[in-house]
Amino acid sequence: MKERIHKDVVIIGAGMAGLTAALYCGRMNLDTLVLENGLIGGQIANATDIENYPGFVSVRGGDLISTIQTQAENFGAVIDEFDEIEKVSLKTSPKIIETQERIYEADVVIIASGMNRRKLPLPEEKKFSGRGVHYCELCDGHAYDGKIIAVAGGGNAAVDAANFLTKYAKKLYLIHRSELRADDFSQKRLRANEKVTIMLQTDIKALRGDKRLEEVEVFDKKSGETKTLSIDGIFVNIGVEPNTQLFKDELTLTASGRIPAGEDCKTEIAGVFAAGDVREKEIRQLTTAAADGTTAALLAEKYLSKLKETDLNG
Amino acid sequence: MVKVYTIQSCPWCAKVKRFLKSKDVEFEELDLEKDPAAREACKKMTGMDWAVPATTIDGVNYVLDYDKEALDKLLCL
Repeated sequence: MKERIHKDVVIIGAGMAGLTAALYCGRMNLDTLVLENGLIGGQIANATDIENYPGFVSVRGGDLISTIQTQAENFGAVIDEFDEIEKVSLKTSPKIIETQERIYEADVVIIASGMNRRKLPLPEEKKFSGRGVHYCELCDGHAYDGKIIAVAGGGNAAVDAANFLTKYAKKLYLIHRSELRADDFSQKRLRANEKVTIMLQTDIKALRGDKRLEEVEVFDKKSGETKTLSIDGIFVNIGVEPNTQLFKDELTLTASGRIPAGEDCKTEIAGVFAAGDVREKEIRQLTTAAADGTTAALLAEKYLSKLKETDLNG
Repeated sequence: MVKVYTIQSCPWCAKVKRFLKSKDVEFEELDLEKDPAAREACKKMTGMDWAVPATTIDGVNYVLDYDKEALDKLLCL
């Protein structure tokens, strides 16, 4: 039988929003648990150089997140990164989060589950995953020293990954189905590197190889030409999707799969907050994720105070 | 003794190490960037260069990446 444990606040996700919320909740002496089954830091854990977070000229994602984790833990928040959530019941009082090992009863739940990287939508993806198809530059970039690398995608994450991987690649293709959306600074840096060929308006049609990836077939939509590129590996950064599967029966989701909540991060269920990239909003940056984490934590504390007052007054 | 092949910059390697520590599993970390023999051994075992994190007990059966279920099974946790 699983152990039942009560918490003031359970935060789902330990990215920037979740850890910031944990820091604030801990500092307000709330009994706070953070559950994370991926990487602490979420998407930033893989980020190479962050140059747009105030206070740092340039910082590695892992280093930034490790500092915020320490701050949160110093204030008493507990982070469990090994126990996986099986189901949640948010409409009950208290709210229930059942993991593989325990059942948590929480007065407040802050959902900061972030986004997952989208996989390459090709049938061969599975065959070559880890054998030429990769999703973590920091983990797998080393394997391609002196090799030919492709990066799929055109946003900031893709261009930053490409810039990072040029230190290994003897030749690098950036392949994107439309135009680049990355900021000018990152684009300029990439375009200035002579190892790099940028292929825009280009679809990846097939992956080929025997035991590992050897070639990609691409289709240039402007010229109508199909080409085969010999490559050793491809790093995929074609966007992200909200990590909201767990909540689809509990909360209304938007068309993009995110959680509708205003700037106060309050969802349609009292005591449930959505913070960071998982919340439907226009701007999704590290700084706005930190802002969401702050807002959710401070309003969670207000909600808990009212809840305690109500309990005391019967 | 459990062996974990790693590189320093890899966040999943760090997670595997933290997982083993949380389970009180003693392990030897082999950093492929500092140890060419370990790199060769890992390559021989996995058939891939720089395949990290890779966890093994016997040098034959191994778990790539952080896969909790597979690690539980490999290490009989």
